[in-house]
Amino acid sequence: MNRGVEIRELRKNFALTRWTGFSRSVFKVVAVNGISMDVPEGQAVAFIGPNGAGKSTTIKMLTGILHPTSGNVSVLGFTPWRDRRKLAHSIGAVFGQRSQLWYHLPPGDTFELLSRIYSLERSEFIRTRDVLIERFNLGSFMATPVRKLSLGQRMRAEVAASLLHRPRVLFLDEPTIGLDVIARQELRSLICEWNRNDGTTIFLTSHDAGDIEHVAQRVVVINHGQVVVDDNVVAVRRKYLGAKILRVQFHELPRTMLLAGVTMLRESAFEWTLKVDTAVTPVRVVTAAVLDAGSVADIAVEDPPLEEVIARIYSESRKEVPT
Amino acid sequence: MTTMESAARYFWIARTAARSNLAYAGEVIYRCSFLAIILYIFMRLWTVVYAGAEEDRVGGLTLPQMLWYLVITEAIYLSAPRVASEVDEDVRTGRLAVHLIRPLSYAGGHLSRAMGDRVVRFAINLAVGAVIALVLVGPIPLRWSGIVMFLAVLPAAFLLDFLGMFLIGLCAFWLESTSGLAIIYTRTVMMFGGMFLPLSIYPAALQPILRVLPFASMLSAPGTMFVNPSLTLLKESIVIQGVAVAIFAGMVGIVQSIALRRLFANGG
Repeated sequence: MNRGVEIRELRKNFALTRWTGFSRSVFKVVAVNGISMDVPEGQAVAFIGPNGAGKSTTIKMLTGILHPTSGNVSVLGFTPWRDRRKLAHSIGAVFGQRSQLWYHLPPGDTFELLSRIYSLERSEFIRTRDVLIERFNLGSFMATPVRKLSLGQRMRAEVAASLLHRPRVLFLDEPTIGLDVIARQELRSLICEWNRNDGTTIFLTSHDAGDIEHVAQRVVVINHGQVVVDDNVVAVRRKYLGAKILRVQFHELPRTMLLAGVTMLRESAFEWTLKVDTAVTPVRVVTAAVLDAGSVADIAVEDPPLEEVIARIYSESRKEVPT
Repeated sequence: MTTMESAARYFWIARTAARSNLAYAGEVIYRCSFLAIILYIFMRLWTVVYAGAEEDRVGGLTLPQMLWYLVITEAIYLSAPRVASEVDEDVRTGRLAVHLIRPLSYAGGHLSRAMGDRVVRFAINLAVGAVIALVLVGPIPLRWSGIVMFLAVLPAAFLLDFLGMFLIGLCAFWLESTSGLAIIYTRTVMMFGGMFLPLSIYPAALQPILRVLPFASMLSAPGTMFVNPSLTLLKESIVIQGVAVAIFAGMVGIVQSIALRRLFANGG
């Protein structure tokens, strides 16, 4: 397996100085506490955790911006903090609220500048730029100053700008923050498409469960600087809730059904939404009981929303790791 | 990566900064109006001073030379980009990450941007100032050799000022705010650099000290070179500028390397 990113026992401590009158005390803050993981090239990984968990610190060490206290990292064979400028040619990054586009100039000018910064071959640059303009639907505003763009348009241009030099690893830090539902969905599909077609490794941090669900194949949850979960998105959802959502539509008014571990989330005349704790009652038992309660027109068994899974992982890891 | 390719990157940053500067017409008009007002006020002040003086020269300069000296020093001073506050903002907001993700030197990127900004601003200021000076006092005799000497000391004047402001910006790694330091720095340049008064007007005991300080290399040297060029002054300025640039650049290198190692990255 081709390893895009290899992280071994990565640690980062910060020294925090506090003054009480004239006395000075220095505290050690452990931001990242021994993270180890591998990300093969081409994979889309969601790197998530509550505020202050150490996500940004880790990403900044992976991009060479921060020096670690200890541990080893290899990104595409480079040690990021030692080979920052060499690595920069093969990675891209979007930091959600920090723009890389020139505010008073159209996105086209930033694209042109980036082509010079990355020393791209002219023909290669024009080809990639045109593909990005088409795929990200940038044509209508390529000549409009960035200050006049909507947030959705600006974010599409930001992501496109970070792909101009065809990076092998793309770090996305809260790329959909502040976007409306439509713009968010558009951006997610564009990122997915680029990951699939170009084989770009995606390293995504987001607080939006939708981003994780739509973009990532794998989810790594960190809390207090440690990895608490590392699995594929579907498995995480199944493993961490032990619950299923049953949506049932009836032809006739159903009879009341009482089962241990089953909670009625929504009830109307011909429709039920049930939450099933599978550790208490298996889904097949509940399904049989539902079929018995009335004539069923339609039945669907779903996994619970990822947001709920994440909330549970955060609260569990808070209990496990002392602060 | 060839040296040419590397230089081309920084050139394009400067070019983009220059274009960006021209894109905001409102600010250009505001700056020009401010320069026009300042020059008019100083013209009136100096007219009174010259009327009261018994000679037609003050500090070795005639009234038209004095106003042209002010045009140059004001054009340089008012063309200064906000380097210190930009670096301060980079550190405080975490925007530093956007710069460090590129295959560029952090200081080099800022230098190119500042130079692109500054060249455009200076050219506009100089054009506006020249028109005002021509209207108020008429032309002064200029020699090609003088213009060449003036152009020879101008880049190092810009570079020195950039390094000074960049150093102040880097202090944001240790200080809550660098705006206080930036104010002290700009006022020091203004006072000891000879912005309002040529150094030849300062007390005789102070003049040799002020001449060797880097501030005079930023304003007084190009200003004097434009109105009253001399080969001796050129040689002296180039030596002082060279030493000052070497010291400032060394300090930037050391401070930046320490600063980037103690970089925090909170809040995304």
